[in-house]
Amino acid sequence: MLGSVPVLWESLPEFGTGVLYAVLVAAAYTFAVSVAAGRGRPRLLQSARLGAYGTTALVLLGVLLLAYAFITHDFRIRYVARYSDRSMTTTYLFTSLWGGQDGSLLWWLFLLSLYIAACVRWLEGKYRLLQPYVIATLMVIVGFFAVLMLYSANPFETSMAGARVDGDGLNPLLRNYYMIIHPPSLYTGFVGCSIPFAFAIAALVTGRLDSEWIVAVRKWMLFAWMFLSLGNVLGMKWAYEELGWGGYWAWDPVENAACLPWFTATAYVHSTMIQERRNTLKVWNVFLICMTFFLTIFGTFLTRSGMISSVHSFAQSDIGTYFAGFMGFIVAVCGGLIVWRLPLLKSQGRIEAVLSREAAFVVNNWALLGGCTFIALATTWPLVTEFFQGQQATVGPPFYNRWMTPIGICILALMGAAPLFGWRKTSNLSLKRAFRNPTLVMLGVLILHLIFGTSLGFPAVVLDPPTYNGAVGWVVQRLAAIAPLITVALVSFNFAVVFQEFQRGVSARRRNSSEGLVEALFTLVRKSRRRYGGYIVHVGIGLMYLGFCGKAWELEKEASLLPQESAEVGGYKLTYKGSRREVDQEKQMIFADMDVEKGGRTLPQVHPAKFIYNESNMGPTTEVSQLNTLRDDLYVVVGTIDVESKRATFRIHVNPLVAFIWIGVMILLSGAAVSLWPDVSLREVGAWSYARAAAGVTSGVMFALIMASSPAAAVESARDHLKREAATLRAPERPLAAAAFASVPPGDWSGSGVSILGGLLIGAAVAWSGSRREGSGPRSDHG
Amino acid sequence: MALRVPFSVQNLVPHLRWAAPLGVVVLASVLGNHFGLGLGLLTIAGGVLCGSIWLIWSSLQGLSGDAPLTLEEAISMGAPSSEEEQKRAVLRALKDLEYERAVGKINEADYANLAEHYRSEAKRLLRAVDETLAPERERAEQILAERLAARDAAEAPEGTGASTDSAEDSNRAGSRANGADPDESSEPAVAKRPSSGAAP
Repeated sequence: MLGSVPVLWESLPEFGTGVLYAVLVAAAYTFAVSVAAGRGRPRLLQSARLGAYGTTALVLLGVLLLAYAFITHDFRIRYVARYSDRSMTTTYLFTSLWGGQDGSLLWWLFLLSLYIAACVRWLEGKYRLLQPYVIATLMVIVGFFAVLMLYSANPFETSMAGARVDGDGLNPLLRNYYMIIHPPSLYTGFVGCSIPFAFAIAALVTGRLDSEWIVAVRKWMLFAWMFLSLGNVLGMKWAYEELGWGGYWAWDPVENAACLPWFTATAYVHSTMIQERRNTLKVWNVFLICMTFFLTIFGTFLTRSGMISSVHSFAQSDIGTYFAGFMGFIVAVCGGLIVWRLPLLKSQGRIEAVLSREAAFVVNNWALLGGCTFIALATTWPLVTEFFQGQQATVGPPFYNRWMTPIGICILALMGAAPLFGWRKTSNLSLKRAFRNPTLVMLGVLILHLIFGTSLGFPAVVLDPPTYNGAVGWVVQRLAAIAPLITVALVSFNFAVVFQEFQRGVSARRRNSSEGLVEALFTLVRKSRRRYGGYIVHVGIGLMYLGFCGKAWELEKEASLLPQESAEVGGYKLTYKGSRREVDQEKQMIFADMDVEKGGRTLPQVHPAKFIYNESNMGPTTEVSQLNTLRDDLYVVVGTIDVESKRATFRIHVNPLVAFIWIGVMILLSGAAVSLWPDVSLREVGAWSYARAAAGVTSGVMFALIMASSPAAAVESARDHLKREAATLRAPERPLAAAAFASVPPGDWSGSGVSILGGLLIGAAVAWSGSRREGSGPRSDHG
Repeated sequence: MALRVPFSVQNLVPHLRWAAPLGVVVLASVLGNHFGLGLGLLTIAGGVLCGSIWLIWSSLQGLSGDAPLTLEEAISMGAPSSEEEQKRAVLRALKDLEYERAVGKINEADYANLAEHYRSEAKRLLRAVDETLAPERERAEQILAERLAARDAAEAPEGTGASTDSAEDSNRAGSRANGADPDESSEPAVAKRPSSGAAP
């Protein structure tokens, strides 16, 4: 067996390409069988399901082969040579799978295949009439990516020049922990939007456009939305920690493209409730799902075509043509199906009152779509101006910040107000009672902010120079000046609304039962998971808004210091102690050490640095050093260090309230977990299915929580790791386990295993306690 | 003549669905630890390749009609009608209405009005569901009776054919009363356990 390994190794590139062809053939076969199953041959559905599983297995095979090529340093393969070298650790060799365009497309296809397998498994025995067309639609998407890789971006393509001695290695900017977690989480969100899209197409094709398919996709879309949220926030964290410009969101075209589907998905998870209850907004919901999927492809198109330059962009290639064609195909098919089914999509209900939750959700949808459209237009503005005027004109962060602020404030206000309305209509008395306490809280916070804000370092009004001239500029400037005041007030309004909803629900339960406070709270959430999970998500988003608002109070100072000289900013006093040089196998590191004091208290040192990679043609990379608290982050970047005189230039930022963004996303994930928790009863599905479903939700969310929470620990651990490795020889080759896990903080790898095991244990425990509560033992089920 | 598979092997097949992947992972771990990560990956790749071939082959078997209809397939053919889904939506709406009344978001007059509307809608849908399902239910009962009679006839020793014949005659009579052709075998054989072609 070992003797045949070299033979396999020789034919690996061809075999890998063959596997991609097999994926295409399998997807085409499964598509054909699915369509046949949907058109009057239901016996073929099982064949279609098995074909889908087989396609998934083939994609997994492709990923394993590419991973093998990286591990064995098969530099005959162009992609392996371009994105790895012999000095990289095993972890980064694996992450190089998605480090470049070709591999990231295969990774996308792999995640899609996992979703397909999970969806097909979940569909067993359910939605029988929709199933064939769901599978067929997913196979079309698989087929597109297979064609794309085979004819434009083949990850197994060999170099014309043959095998090299060593590869180029991964871009130093990508050699960090975030490369491991940000792309997979964002791709999980992107790819997850394919499942609801497939259901929408199936519903349109079959004409089953009532609430059946809406109920089916609800949790799939929520799961994808959760990972879109996490992926975007991890991207923010990455930019904040690695890029060194002092912020977390630069309105980069690829950042914008990643958040576009989040807006439409958010609109959908709200408007779907209207269709479920009132049988209206059918066309709107179908449109939102199709648009969400379209935007995931559009975002990928923007990233990879290179049409708009970005720090993320891969080199311009011909895959833009393929993506453009596929987007045109999506628009044509979706548009055609919607027009064909318009009679069936006609609403059977209507919005009867302006003062109703339906109306509030519709307005919220418009605000979200408005934000999405604004960002999409501004991002593609260079293309628009080039088309009409012959030259590209770009818009930068100040433009986005100016106009997105009022849109964001509208969304925040609606987020707070909508839960206070009743379905169908709300009486004036009910409305007054509902709004009274949250409004009082909001006004109280507003007054306190006005009075005490400045003394606390968070002034209520922040007047920046006008962005535009004239009356428009004056109005925009004033609105921006009071934005912090309004944001903080609306965040408090949102918190008060959520508290009131919980309090009213608990009180209502306790009036009708003898439950205690905690039991009533637990039962309330258990019986209305979607509602209260949504409220928890609102709290998370409110905290994130608070974090974003901190930008209004940020301070920045540049200083050129000799050793023992100090600079003061935002209450911090930083004293430059001197610089030091360290080396390891792959780079030189120049640290500038600074003592930090605040209010007479000594704080931990900061060590901003420059790294100079041996293999890279890039200049030195900037390594940020931070001290993080709830109130603010001290963020220090070193510019230049004169080795002889020791003079160093620094850029020092004090960024208030940034921590609330990261805390907010953790709470958002928790709320999503509550909403995603299976809402079938134990009796309906049996203990094993319940435990499985619960474990799936729990492990997914725990994994997301661990990914979200581990960057901070990872940074510290990585820095300690770097210091230990500095000026030492490379350790001899270690056994599999140690080599695979060496350079990643132990907490993360074990955390991944803990999350899956923990999810299974939690799911099993909940199922077992549920079975005891319901008085029946676990029974085997046929699901 | 059907090939008789030994009882123990027949029982082993369903367990292969989880045992085979587990075995591959264990083997890959052992080989990877001894000979390097590359061989471990290749071992898993080999297992995945075998799995994909088995899945595609099982899918093709279904095309040719070799695989019998499983119990799960037969049950899943009774897909919920759109009326059933609407019924569930109406019941959800009623549940929300009760909640909103309990927390005071809706006054009693509006509650009474809306509750009456949803309840009548639910009654209408329940009637529609019953009307849709009634003939299917009767047909399913009749098919089941025929199958049981056929099984009894196959298992009964010789000499008891008269009683079996009379059972079949009564079934045929029932079928004619319902307008169905009792000799038309439109339903495929139903297997209790998934065949080897079933999904892992």
